[in-house]
Amino acid sequence: MKRNIVIFGITVVVVALLLFMNDITTKKADASPEAANTGIKTGQIAPGFELQDLNGKQVKLSDFRGKAVVLNFWATWCSPCKAEIPWFEDFQKQYGPQGLQVIGVAMDDSGHEKIAEFAKQMGMNYPVLFGKEAVGQEYGGVNFLPSTFYIDRQGRITDSVAGIIDRKDIESKLKVALGDQAPGIATPSSTPPNTVANSVVPNRSDSTAGASK
Amino acid sequence: MKRALLFAAVLAFAAAAYAQDFGPSVTALTPDPVTVVAGKSAPVTLNFRVNQGFHINSNKPNSEILIPTELKLDPPSQLMVADVKYPPGEMLSLPIVNEKISVYSGDFQIGARVLAVRAISPGTYRVRGTLRFQACNDRQCFPPRTTPVHFDVHIVRARRR
Repeated sequence: MKRNIVIFGITVVVVALLLFMNDITTKKADASPEAANTGIKTGQIAPGFELQDLNGKQVKLSDFRGKAVVLNFWATWCSPCKAEIPWFEDFQKQYGPQGLQVIGVAMDDSGHEKIAEFAKQMGMNYPVLFGKEAVGQEYGGVNFLPSTFYIDRQGRITDSVAGIIDRKDIESKLKVALGDQAPGIATPSSTPPNTVANSVVPNRSDSTAGASK
Repeated sequence: MKRALLFAAVLAFAAAAYAQDFGPSVTALTPDPVTVVAGKSAPVTLNFRVNQGFHINSNKPNSEILIPTELKLDPPSQLMVADVKYPPGEMLSLPIVNEKISVYSGDFQIGARVLAVRAISPGTYRVRGTLRFQACNDRQCFPPRTTPVHFDVHIVRARRR
């Protein structure tokens, strides 16, 4: 009898362990390109933040109210991130007049000078902000880089992608955020956002302002 | 009771094997103990395994912005580790990134020499350290991580002539 209780107890513990592993594995699968980041849902209001830019100025997400925002978390050591940056520069030029704002949030610990130097070398023509882990947490942890969030003019997340995707897919997703393309028809592989593009929603909050790493 | 333990061991092994399938990881495979004569040195080879689907930067990535793989060892006071030799990286071409990077993937080895001072007492000493790496797959990168490393050194007395 005692032996059976021991076997049962061990089995319960191991099965719980397997279920935990399965949960983590599922989260990993979710993190593949074309899948939304864990914890962040399309249609929800983008978490607000206040971060310092390369010039030392504090920048809030709400400063871009009324614009469609491509919020790109990146790092200097991340090759896929580096590959995407020239695309974002092009998109900023092309779609900026239509109300697009690309924002880069640097998530590495390499220091402000190195990030600034990298941004200069890459010719980044959009705001580059020094990231904080707390802001990353608000966006589902940002466990993988690049992680990109597409935010419509009302501040709602229309899509999010962990990892690099093709340039044309990025363009389709930012068009949805701009309201130029209906959600769900961006690309056959894209994650259909739950948002209604022109619905009236509250302003973006900046609830995480001042949170430190 | 023995049957219960065996059953638990099998399940634990299955869980561990299953766990290896997620996220990037570098496993340090513990080498056989190294025997060193007091006052002399001996080579040690440390074996590492990058899990499938991931790669890590080599020790000399072909860009200064990339984070190199680095082994840091902290031997006991009467031992020293020197002449750490990293393998050359394999050049990996990532089509979407459009650049070649120097990486380790699968199994790789780092060599070193363990030196013992003459006054060291015979016995077994453990050298501990860490391997710092930064992993990516073909579309994503992961923040730098460290994995613990250790190996044992058997110190024997020098034979008197």
